[in-house]
Order: sequence, then C-alpha cells, then structure tokens
Amino acid sequence: MFKKILIANRGEIAVRIMATAREMGIRTVAVFSEADRQALHVLEADQAVHIGPSEPSESYLNMDRVIEAARRTGAEAIHPGYGFLAENALFAERCAREGIVFIGPPPEAIRDLGDKTVARRIMAESGVPVIPGTMEPSTDPDVLSREADRIGYPVLVKAAAGGGGKGMRVVRDPAELRDACTSASREAKGAFGNGDIFLEKYIERPRHVEFQVLADSRGNVVHLLERECSIQRRHQKIIEETPSPALTPELRERMGAAAVAAAKASGYVNAGTVEFLLDTDGSFYFLEVNTRLQVEHPVTEMVTGIDLVRRQLEIASGAGLGLTQDDVRARGHAIECRIYAEDPLSGFLPSPGKISYVHEPRGPGIRNDCGVYAGFTVPFEYDPILSKLITHASTRDECIDRMIRALKDYVILGVLTPIPFLVDILSSKAFRRGETFTDFIDTHFSPWNPVLEHVEAAALAYVIHASKEKRPAVQGTAAQEYSPWQALGNFRP
Amino acid sequence: MNYTVRIAGKDIPIQADLSEAGTCAAVIDGREVKAGYCIVSENRILIEIDGRTVSAFLAEGQDGLLVNVGGITYPVQDADVLAKAGPRRRGKELPQEVTPPMPSVVVRIMVSEGDRVEKGQAVAVVSAMKMETTLQAPYAGRVVRVNAAEGEKVMPGRILLDIEKEEDA
Repeated sequence: MFKKILIANRGEIAVRIMATAREMGIRTVAVFSEADRQALHVLEADQAVHIGPSEPSESYLNMDRVIEAARRTGAEAIHPGYGFLAENALFAERCAREGIVFIGPPPEAIRDLGDKTVARRIMAESGVPVIPGTMEPSTDPDVLSREADRIGYPVLVKAAAGGGGKGMRVVRDPAELRDACTSASREAKGAFGNGDIFLEKYIERPRHVEFQVLADSRGNVVHLLERECSIQRRHQKIIEETPSPALTPELRERMGAAAVAAAKASGYVNAGTVEFLLDTDGSFYFLEVNTRLQVEHPVTEMVTGIDLVRRQLEIASGAGLGLTQDDVRARGHAIECRIYAEDPLSGFLPSPGKISYVHEPRGPGIRNDCGVYAGFTVPFEYDPILSKLITHASTRDECIDRMIRALKDYVILGVLTPIPFLVDILSSKAFRRGETFTDFIDTHFSPWNPVLEHVEAAALAYVIHASKEKRPAVQGTAAQEYSPWQALGNFRP
Repeated sequence: MNYTVRIAGKDIPIQADLSEAGTCAAVIDGREVKAGYCIVSENRILIEIDGRTVSAFLAEGQDGLLVNVGGITYPVQDADVLAKAGPRRRGKELPQEVTPPMPSVVVRIMVSEGDRVEKGQAVAVVSAMKMETTLQAPYAGRVVRVNAAEGEKVMPGRILLDIEKEEDA
C-alpha cells in the first residue's frame, strides 16, 4: 500500500479522501490555490503545497504544478477526487509517465468514456441499450439540424466532453436549434476545452438511475447497486438516494448486469459509475460512465458498508477486489442532500462569501461530508458545493424523516443555502410517494415560496440581541448569562 | 423597547420588555406575546414563545442580522435605520445598472461603444462558481462606454457598461 498520496482537489471531497487515507495509515498531501490558503482541506492534510493563483487553470487544473507538488513531497499516488483533473486522460497518462499512480481508471478508458459519442458506440456494440441519437460529434449547424429532423423533436443538445449539465440544452422547436447548438458548444468549449456537441432524443419524464461499479486490474467487476438521482436543478443533482423507489428486484438485476457489461466493455478499472435513464415503461438507456468517484458516493457506502475510497486505494495499489457480487448486500435506505452556496429564491444563483456561523446536525444515522467552517470565505472561482448531508435509516420513510430533522438542525449563516428548499422537497407528498422524476422541481416547486413560520421568534431574537449589545456589561456575571437554568425564568424542558 | 424590524420585506413593529430573569412581555405586530429567553452564546438564543421553545442562531450579515429559526434564515433589519438611510432599490424589476449580482469574472461583452441597445437586451455575460449569468440592458439607449474587459474580475456595484438612456419619444 502507498505510504503517501497527494489529493489533487479541494473542499469536501479532498477532506473525505484524507479521512480514509489517515485511517489506512497513509500520509496525505493537499494542494491549494491562493483563494484556498485557509481552506479546510489544507488544515486537515499532513502536508500542503501552494500551487498557484485562484484561477483553476493556474492551480487545480494545472498538471505541471500538481505533478511537481507530488514529486517534491514524494507522494506515490494522486487521487483526483471529482471535477478538475479527475476525468482528464492526459493527466492520467502524464502520471504514468512520471511514475506516479493515478488513483482512477486507465487513460484509455477515461478517453473512450469521456467522449460520449465513443462511449455510446462501445455500449451499443456490447449490447448495452443506448438512447437514439447521433453517433458522431459535430459543431456544424447544418449537420446537426438534419440529424435533429431524423431523430425527431424534442432533442437534447449535449457536450461530447460534458458533464454536470454544462453545454446541455433541450430544443423543442426546430427554429431554436441553431442558437442552442451555438451556445451549448461555446459553454462546452469554456468548461471542457472542447466544443463538440451531439444530439439525443429527449426523453420526457425520465428517472436518472446510476450503478456504482468496482473493477480490479485482474478483470473482476462487481456493481454496488444503484443510486436514484432524479431530483435535479439546472441539470445538476441535489438529492440522491438508494435504493431507488422505482426498481423492482428483477429490473435491478438487469440494470446491474448491464452496468457490469459496460465496465467490462470499456476495460474499466477502479471505481466508476454507469448512468442510465429509466423511462416510465421500465426500459432503460445507457447515458454515460463517470470515470471517477461520484459526489453522491456516500449513499452507497452507507447501505453497503463498503468504503469506496479505501477500495479505490487498494485497487490502485494492485490488490484484487476480494469481493463477489453475492458479497454485496444493502441494508436500509440512505439519502444525500447537496448543500450548495446558492439562493433557491433567485434561480439558484451562486452565493459566495464569508461563512459566519455553522451548526452541524448530529445523531444516529447522520453523516456530514463538509468542506467549510465558520470563518471561511467561500471563493467564487470554484464549484459552490459546501457539504453533503447524508442520512441512513432502516426504511425510506424513516430516512426521509431523519433527513428533514437533520436539515432543520443544520445552520449555515453568511452564505445562502438551499436547506429550506430541500426540507420542502423532502416533506412533499410526491417525494414521499417516490414520484421522483427529473422534472420534479419544475413540476412541484416552480415557483417555490418558503413558509415563514418563525417570523415572531426571529423578530424577538433581533430585539434580545440588540438589547444585549446596548446593555452595559456590568450587570450579572458571565456565568449567569450563560446558564439556561437561571436565565430562562419559568422555562423547563 | 420599541423597534420596527423588517423581515422578508415586511415591517413589523415590536415592543418588548425584557427582564433580567429571562422573561419577556412583548407586542409583536399588534399581538401580545408572553415569552421566555436565554442567551446561550453570542450565536444562539433560546426562545420560548406560545409554549414552544426554539433555538435562534444568529450572526451579523451584510443585510442586517441573520437569524435562523427552524431551518430558515431570516435576515432581520431595523426598519427605522433603513428609513434614515434613504430609499434603496429592491424588487424584481431590472436593476438600473449593468452590474454583476455577485463577484464574477466577465466572460463576454456583447456590445461595443456606440451600439444602440433595447431594454432587456443581453449585453454581457459573467460567470461565478462555474455558472454563467447574462446581464441585460436596463433601458433602451446607446452604449457610451465599456468599463470592463473579458476575463476581468468584477464585484457587484461595478458598472460594466455606461448606457445613455434614450428619451421616450
């Protein structure tokens, strides 16, 4: 096993990877940009290397500087987390050339699967069902327009190199195709350095169901069941759960087998995720393979009891899986809510800034993968994810109740978060019934207005706070002021 | 003590007598309330109101005091102080300047000096936290000056374009 690894990422995922590394006795190296001098991942690492200015291209995306940091600190392997260099085949190749282990799949698999049109071909040839659409990427509006007519509207314009909803547009009216293609291509070029786009038939009201796979370098592949990720805003997931309320044991087995086939067809090694769209009639289509550890991996860890980062490190160091499909058993239900710095009341506009106070929820079955703390300034250069709140319970209903409770106990002041919005989604009848389709938010929560239940208490808190500031500090002792038993009068819990 | 606080756009008069013992007789928006309170720390006050106890978590924010109760954060402002400070633009209509809503990087400026623009026309794109936002012309007019370059970091309040307003015919 490695003695020291470098984590080429930031925020909650870097902190989460370090936690497992430390448990395994592996020393950790963080890298950080100017904006992240005091970021949590820097504070948690055994060693930290400054790799450049805040612009991602000058720091977290800069291969030379990341490799140099690994060399200087003697790290034997690099874990890329998600985003940044995680799905960059050039980087994986570069690591190999430098004699550093890339903790992830081989460069060829990243390249093939990262190009969605190549991935579609591989899957189609291996008998994995794919969505009708174009097989070749293009930026030529005439070609795209002809193809769209062939597929039939509505069509989905997607970036060949894409992910996370960037460079994606739904087009219902042929007249809008050109504009959509141009802007999608430009967005893709900006985000991924590649403006190639392709078209797919747009499936109305699908569910987004993905399967976690683990593959070792000896050809063993297992799947770790599914994650339902249908609740999305701006094509980005915000709530994930497992098991999916939509799968029967029979469908689960078929989709799991397709996921394993997809991994084998692409020569996959390490942890990956095979995403499917599930239509209302139970047919499912290959969407893409994410060749990285997913943001939502914790729900799988909660129900299977398998630490995915530990498995990634073992596989990368050459060990076998030591796990057969029959060994994978799920217990109970898990839900994850993504806590972004964003304003749910104005179109989820990002809300960077200084966090002035954090109160984290606690209790049985609660996990908070958090990358921030009170006093930290959330930079505007990076993804706005602050933390991921995960609950685990024996049934879906209990898990929902637990999540609602945990969200209400989660206080982050200074930046806006979607916490009240998430509470309302989880409290809705449609979510409780498991009617989770990708149009869930548009259908049930557009517009959304929070119920302001505690205006009087908030007003009173303001006045109490103001009076405390005005009052001279002489009266009473500090001890009195801080003791609920003396201060709360007739109140008894 | 008499205050008028502004919460979620509404002015709420509140008159409260706070005792050292942690009891409080208050009239909030015309309703008489018997309450109890306990200052736990500078960020947390326990409040008993109508027989129910809740924790109020608080911190100073840009728009007043941030108070979180029951999972929702209420920015609370002193309406009297706001009134003295003069009127402030608020609401959902277009902002009157071409300025980013948050700290951002300029992705594109879509117009040049001398261009005529329509009200609501897309004139610039900024990006923050990997999300692009399109800024629109607040009114019809002519672009007299472009104040920012593509790739530049800009803060809210920075005017990216000066537009000379067209007089209504």
